[in-house]
Order: sequence, then structure tokens, then C-alpha cells
Amino acid sequence: MLVRIAGNLARFVLSLLAATLAVFALMRVLPGDPAAIAAGENATPEVVAGLAKQFGTDRPLPVQYWDWFSGLWRGDFGVSYVTRTDISPLVADKVQVSLILVTLAMALALAIAIPAGTIAAVRHNKPSGAVIAAASQLGIAVPGFLLGIVLVSFFALRLGWLPANGWVAPGVDFAGFLARLVLPVIALAGVQSAILVRYVRSAVLEVMHEDYLRTARAKGLSPLGALVRHGLRNAAIPVLTVTSVQFSALIIGAVVIERVFVIPGLGSMLLSAVGNRDLLTVQSVVMVLVAITLVVNLLVDVLYTIVDPRIRAAAQGER
Amino acid sequence: MRNTRPTPAFLVGAAIVALIAATALLSFFFTPFDPLQVNAPARLQGPSLQHWLGTDNLGRDLLSRILVGARITLLVGVVSVGIAVLIGTPVGIWAGMRRGAVEEITMRGADILLAFPALLLAIMFAAIYGASTVSAMAAIGLASVPGFARVARAGTLQVMNAEYVLAARAAAQRPVRIAARHVLPNITGMLLIQCSVTFALAVLAEAALSFLGLGTPPPVPSWGRMLQESQQYWGTFPAMALWPGLAIASAVMGFNLLGDGLRDWLDPKLGRGKA
Amino acid sequence: MQAILTARRGRRGARLAAVLAALLMLAACSAGSTGGAPVNKDKLVVALTGEPVNLDFTTTAGAAIPQAMMANVYEGLVTLDQTGAIRPLLATKWETSNMNKSYTFTLVEGATFSNGAAFEAEDVKFSIERVKSAAWLNGLKSKMDDVQDVVVNSATSVTVNLARPSQAWLYSMTTLVGAMFDPSGVDDLANNPVGTGPYKLASWARGESINLVARPDYWGTAPGIKDVSLRYFADAIATTNALSSGDVDVIYNMQAPELLSSFESNPAYQVLEGTSNGEVILSMNNKAKPFNDKRVRQAVLYAIDRKAVRDTAWNGLGTLVGGPVPPTDPYYEDLNDRYPFDPAKARALLQEAGAQDLKITFTVPTRPYATAVSEIVQSQLRDVGIDAKIASAEFPAVWLDQVFTSHDYQMSVILAVEARDLLTMFDDPNYYIGYDNSKIKDEAAAADASDEANYVEGMKNVVRTIVDDAPVDTLFIFPNISVAKAGISGLGANSVTEALNLAPIAWS
Repeated sequence: MLVRIAGNLARFVLSLLAATLAVFALMRVLPGDPAAIAAGENATPEVVAGLAKQFGTDRPLPVQYWDWFSGLWRGDFGVSYVTRTDISPLVADKVQVSLILVTLAMALALAIAIPAGTIAAVRHNKPSGAVIAAASQLGIAVPGFLLGIVLVSFFALRLGWLPANGWVAPGVDFAGFLARLVLPVIALAGVQSAILVRYVRSAVLEVMHEDYLRTARAKGLSPLGALVRHGLRNAAIPVLTVTSVQFSALIIGAVVIERVFVIPGLGSMLLSAVGNRDLLTVQSVVMVLVAITLVVNLLVDVLYTIVDPRIRAAAQGER
Repeated sequence: MRNTRPTPAFLVGAAIVALIAATALLSFFFTPFDPLQVNAPARLQGPSLQHWLGTDNLGRDLLSRILVGARITLLVGVVSVGIAVLIGTPVGIWAGMRRGAVEEITMRGADILLAFPALLLAIMFAAIYGASTVSAMAAIGLASVPGFARVARAGTLQVMNAEYVLAARAAAQRPVRIAARHVLPNITGMLLIQCSVTFALAVLAEAALSFLGLGTPPPVPSWGRMLQESQQYWGTFPAMALWPGLAIASAVMGFNLLGDGLRDWLDPKLGRGKA
Repeated sequence: MQAILTARRGRRGARLAAVLAALLMLAACSAGSTGGAPVNKDKLVVALTGEPVNLDFTTTAGAAIPQAMMANVYEGLVTLDQTGAIRPLLATKWETSNMNKSYTFTLVEGATFSNGAAFEAEDVKFSIERVKSAAWLNGLKSKMDDVQDVVVNSATSVTVNLARPSQAWLYSMTTLVGAMFDPSGVDDLANNPVGTGPYKLASWARGESINLVARPDYWGTAPGIKDVSLRYFADAIATTNALSSGDVDVIYNMQAPELLSSFESNPAYQVLEGTSNGEVILSMNNKAKPFNDKRVRQAVLYAIDRKAVRDTAWNGLGTLVGGPVPPTDPYYEDLNDRYPFDPAKARALLQEAGAQDLKITFTVPTRPYATAVSEIVQSQLRDVGIDAKIASAEFPAVWLDQVFTSHDYQMSVILAVEARDLLTMFDDPNYYIGYDNSKIKDEAAAADASDEANYVEGMKNVVRTIVDDAPVDTLFIFPNISVAKAGISGLGANSVTEALNLAPIAWS
């Protein structure tokens, strides 16, 4: 088992390496010299050359890559050409914001999806099951940002119950922090739970037809009782897989939600860096987002290995 | 065990998809108005006999724009799904047939690509090549490749152990021939389901990109951009947001239902759950 | 069994609902309490769009930095009042001599920098010479090219000698190139600005807000509000949402005129509609086909109904001027009658130029005003037989690269925000517009060198010549729209300088 976990780790490191190369290669095809962009509208060629030297963008690409790459391992993303400040502390700050948002949204999504999906499966030929299935179908079809805007218009602007947007650090004003989280978390979790409901439902449906459940029911347990006692553990595995996949979808979905709710997380940082052509910051944020996804994948892989090495292949076959 | 009749979900999904396709086709021959014609005096009008869905902030006919917008939606879906199918399927089949190092490398590659979701790739592409429908389609297509590769590989693995494939392999048929004759026909159903689901995701991704201003640039009416343009008018003229919002939601729902219906119809295992 | 199950599920559901409701209540209460709290008169939150990338305008271009820093953290020797007239600031008075070639400034006494250093004549010399040195990388530094030397007469008197007489130079001193720095305070301008202004930087939460605090040791009138937070939003809709829910007090330079109506009708808010230096310009590449032909350019000006453009794109806000000069400039005159809306004449001109069925590319920066304007302009051009294909260009980076630097465009639309930028735009054939300046070069130079009255007359002539050649179509002057809570006073309606001047603002 340790060997397998070591293998997981090695593959994770290799993936991360490949990802750094991919991100760097992609970003450096950008049109427009970062120096020229920083110099702005009325710049002379001398000014641009001076900036290029200062930024180091006049050096060969492999040198620039190595510079960036070796910094990454020390947790140092370098100094942005545009903002002239260290990127690392900023990223560290924004990561927390994004992770709070995404984790809460995932928790809420699961809290809705697991009971709803189970009910939908158990009562799949009753009206309540059909209603849940239809609602999830509808939920998936609504873009998250649209849900966000609707929530703002209704709860913040019309009813005035909650702030429309913004962010307050929990240490500064905890109530304000919570108040500002409610709408974006619901907007993110709404769509996510609709997706998860479907997976939970089909995973539970699958399990319901297994022989051991039939046996359990034959022993006199109710369908739900049998399911809770024997089935949910088995249904949990495909759900876990989907959760890990959806986690990365959620992180990216948060980019748009952060924009709608003016939340200073990685998404807002990424979009403003794209607008400012702040190459190094874009590169760093993309790298962090990709790394988070890879870490989540690694954790799930390791979890599988610990639970049962054979399960992984089975779970993958399902998808 | 296989269901012989299509499920209601399939029928509803197929109907919606057909309606959108028909709408897009129709828009090439006929729209009530020129979707780009600005008409300042007629701005922000409610539904009327002349403008069935009303007009937008520049006085353009909303119905015409929705009709033409269907084209962009279909275009983005078809091209990005096309990219994903054309790259993902052969790679997946190859991985499933060759096994060993090929399988390991391609599937690891797919895993890495999976860490770049469509929206992230599209934001990067928009940063690199500027916002355009083309870079959006390329990004969404590329990001959907791993899904197809996995489905194709999983299907191939199942098929490769079937007797007829074993027989073909014993007869020393060329791998390409086996892939074309035996593997592909047997995984078409799974691929179709994946196409449908990916299509729905592409529509959503395009909408989100257009909302961020990184999708289809003006003046082409895409539903996502129409929604974004309507933002200022939520309070005063919600109809401007209502129609594109409905259009996006029904398109996504249509393709999802189609995919679900296909799955229930073609997949005997889940069909049993339905029975 | 079934009943028990249902009951249990019901209880669990109820518990979940109760938790959610409690959360919502908690959130709602806290939101309500901040909304209903009495106004803290020492605090102000201003909503802006477009955060500065850093705080150093000496090396970084962009309007957001001087908007936050000038007048608040940095001051110049002179400034502009709301009508656009030059007023004393760090200089109490000035005299010209040697036929307008020398300016002698008398400085205020007792002014200090936020790092404690005294403001003296040496700092003026240091600041102006620094603009001319390699330390400044902002392209606007060329505004100081005419400075020959700076002579310190005493601690409170300094003389600037110019290479040639110039009216425009003193005006430039009101802008960011005239900002006064302290030699010991320029080490980290990107993050730690040091100036003589009424505010200093308290903190900067990147991606959120810049927080300024009033300096107790400020040399002039103390500002009306102690703590000012400049909060940055991604778009105008987010700013109005934040104002509606009470998170901000002022929206300055609002970019979504359609959203004004709900505030105009609400007595809890005031809407200020002022003018700005920004001209929304439909620019044409004068050096490339088809717009190297004056008749084609004139046809464009006749083809476009500027009033309809403004009314539709910007909800009727903004001033129609007919020439590339805002009304607050001294040499402004109304030139709306020069090119009235006349599609027939446009078609005739196009025919005369042999340019029927033109197909052009219209490069549009990704800014709200530009997108709004472009679709109407495209539609109007089509009516006279010009087929303009809109190509979106990410602003600033792609637009700057493609249009501004490489001149790789035919038509574009841009908000030219720089103050008194007439000669920047048209007195330089290598500028992206590519206007042949041979007709105006000498007259513009002569006007600059003469006295005030002749300067204004001469420049008016220059403007007429330019407009006659139709190098660009000035669609309208961008309005400076601000929305504030009703209790706020002192917010300047007009945006005549690059700064958002915070010091006069107070709660009443």
C-alpha cells in the first residue's frame, strides 16, 4: 500500500511538473511585450527597453522559465511586472478567500445533494422522486452567474436582507463576513448540488439492486433502513469521485461568482490580471488553481488506495 | 434487458434540440428584423405585434437576436464537441487497445488536462489570443478531450475482451481495422451520451465566458452576451434578460435530457434501475 | 415502519431548515444593523471601477493611479478649479518674466511631506529634474521637455527656465508631472507614496480597497473626512448594488448611465452630472486606406448622428461638441454645425472618392462605452454603404499593442481622457491617428509662445483646421457622473483634473 501511495505521489509530482511547463509555454505566447504594456500609451522605445531589462523579459525563454520554476518550489512567484510587488503573499491571501467560498459551497451542495439524491433514488417511481429529478435537471441548466444575479436582485436589492456584494475578513467583522457569504455560497452550491443530486441518485439506484440489499430487505429492513445500513458506504465511492472532479469545477465556477459578488479571491485576481496583462500573476494564479485540483485528485487517489485498491478501477469504469 | 422504446426524457430532449437546430437554420433564411439594425427611437419596448419579444437597449428586435443567437450556441457546441471527439476518441481507443505505457501516459495526460477546466483554459486563451468565438471553442473543445478519451478507453477495455474481438485479434487483423470494425461501433452509444453532456457544458461555458466579456464579441448576438448586456436593465426592463436566460437554460436542459434519455435507452444496466 | 421513517425524515428536514433559517436571520440582522447605524462622519467609502496596478505614476501609465493619488497624497505647485482655471496650491503665487520663458514661484510656508520632511524649493528642483531623468518612465514626462533648468532662489522661491516660451507648460504643472516629491521618499513609490497632500496611504488591500487617512500635520485646510476608503469594483453594476445596500457612500465616475434612474427618483441619494476632459473619439487611421482620403473621413462624420449615438449609447448624458476639445478648455468652441447629420451628403462624398461599398474593420476596445457606441456607429455607417466589421480588442493590453503602438487598424473608438490632449493627438504625425500636422504645426507653436489671449485665439484656429480635415469624429464629451448619499457635500461634479479630490468632501 505504501508503494502505491508513493506511486501516487510520484505521479502527482510529474503532473505538476508537466503543468508548470504547459502554463509557462501557453502564457509566453501572449501578444504584446509586457514592458510595452506597462509603459503605456505615450512610451518611447527607450522607456520600453528599460522596463524590459528591469523585468527580465529581454532574457531567453528557458532562462525565464527556470527562474520562475525554481522560485515556485520555494513558494516564491516572483515580483509582478505590473504591480511591482511580491505575488506570493497576495496569492496566499486570495487562496484563503477562494477556499473558504468553495469549501462552504461544496459542503452546502453535499448537504443538499446527498439527502435529496437518496430520496430521489428510493422514491424514483413516486412523484417526490420525480420532482427532485426535475428540479436537478432545471438547476443544472441555469448558469451560476445568472442564479447569483437573481439572488442579488431579490434578496439584496429588493428585500434588503443581505449585502449585495463585497467581502469582510472574518477577524474584522464576523457577522458581516457571514452575511456577505450567504448569497455567493448559495449561488455556487445551487448549481453544484443539482449536478451532485444526479450522481447520488444514480449511485444509490445502482446499489439498491445489489444482492446484499435484497437480502437485507428480505430480513425485514425497510428500503431506506437497508440502504443506510449497508448501501450508502458503497454508493459513497462514485460520489466521492464526482465530488473531487466537481471540486475543481467549483473552483473555476467561483471565478465567475467572485466577479458577480466582488469577492477578492483568486478568480477576481485572475480576471484583473488578465485585463492588466499582468503575465506573471496570471501564470501564478493559473498554476495555483491547477495545483489545487491536482492536490484534490491526489488526496482522492490516496483515499482510494487506503480504502480499497480495486475500487478505483471500478469507479472509473462508471464514468 | 435493453429498453426498446426511447424514454420520455429522450423525446423531450430531442424535441428541444431539434427546435434549437431548426431555429438556427431558419435564422439563415428569415428573421423578422435585421438582428443588428439599431433603432434608437424603438429602444426597450415590450412585446408587440411588430416585435414579438420586444426590443433591446439599442432598439434591436429581441426575437431576431434570439434566433440568430441559436447559431452561435450550436456553432460553439458543434465545434467544441467536434474537437473533443476527434482528438479524445482515437486517443482513448488507442490507450484501451495498446494498454501498458501508452495507456498510462495518455491517461496521465488526460488527468493533467482535466486540471484545466474549460473556463480556465478559455480565460487563458482569451488572454493570449483575445476574446473570440474561435478561442472559446478551442478552449472548450480541448478541455473536453479527457472526457472522451476516458469514455472511449473504458468502452474499448470492455469490448476488447469480447469474443469477436478476440477472434479478430487471433486472426491478426490490423489494429486500425479492429478499432474501426469492432470497437468504434460498440462504443458509439457511450460517445453519443458524452457528446450530449459535453454540448450542454459547452453552452454553459460560452455563456459564462460571454458574461465575463471573454466570449463572442459584439455585434454578433450570442445568448450569453445578450444576458451580459441586459445587466443594466434588470431593474427597469427584465424582458431583456428573460429571453436569453430562458434560451440558455432550455438549450442546456435539452442536451442534458437528450443525454440522459440516450443513457437510459442504451445502457441496460441503468435501464434496469428504471424498470 | 413507513410512518416512523417519514417522521424521522421530517424531523431532520425541519432541523436543517431551522439551521438555515437561523443563518439567514443572523445574516439579515447583521446586515440590517450596519445599514441602520448612524453615519460615522469620520468615514467615507468611495466606489470606483478599475483598481490601480500600483501607486507609481512615474513609471506606470493609466488613469487610476493619479485618480487616487493626485490632490490627495501628492500636490503640485498649481492646480485647477472646477471651471478649469489655474489656481495656486503649493505655490502661493508666480510671475513670468523673460517673455514667458521663466516662471518664478513663491512657495507656501510650513508644508511638510507625510514622512515629516519639510517642503522647500530644493524639493521643487528635485521633482522637476527627476521627471526629466531616467527615473521617470511614464510617457507623459515629455511635458517637461521644455524645462531648461530649475534655480533655487531661497527656501521658498524657485525659478524654472524654459527653452522656449510656453503657455501650456504651466498647465502641465497642474497634472501628475507637476507632483512634488521628497528626495528621501521615492524609494518605493509603487507601494509607499510620500507627498505633501492632505491624506496619506493607510493601507492597501489589493483587489479590494485603498485606504487613506487624513494627515494631522497637513499644511492647508484639514480635509472634511478622516478615513477614506477607495473601494474598487469590476463593473458599474456592482457599484450601484453596493450603494443600494449601503456598503459604499459615493460612486464616482459611474460607467452605467442606465442605472441612474433609480437613484434620481430617490431622495436618499444625489446624482451629480458634470463634465470631464474625456472625449469619446471615433478615430480613423489617417495614413491607411480608406481613411487616408479626407472625403471618406468627412463622409463618416456626415454619416453619424452623434446625438443618436449619445442618446442611445449613454442614455443622453454627455456633451455634444463637434470637435476634440472639452468645454472646460480655454480654446473650446461649439463646432456641432460643422458636420450635421446628413447621410445623403456622406454617400455623395463616398461616391466622389470612389469608395462605395467600403468594407472596413472597426477595432473596439473592451470598455462599456466603446461597445455601446460601436454597435450604433456600425449600424449608421451601414446606412451609407460602409460595412464595418467589429473586432473586439481587450483593453488596455491588446488595444494598446495593436492600435496605439502598431497602428494596425482602420477605425477605432476610444475615450481620450488626458487633459488638453489636442496637440498630443494631432500635432504628431507618428501618433496612432496619423494626422498630417503640417498645416497646424507652426500656428500651434506660435500660439503657445504668445500671451494668453493670442494663445486662445491661435488654438481656436488650430482646432478649426483640424476639424475641417476630419481626422477623427468626436462623438461626445464623456459625462462625469457621480452618485452619492444625500448627506454628502463637497464632491466636485466636474472632472477637470486627473484626480478625485477628496479633501473638500464632508458629511453634512
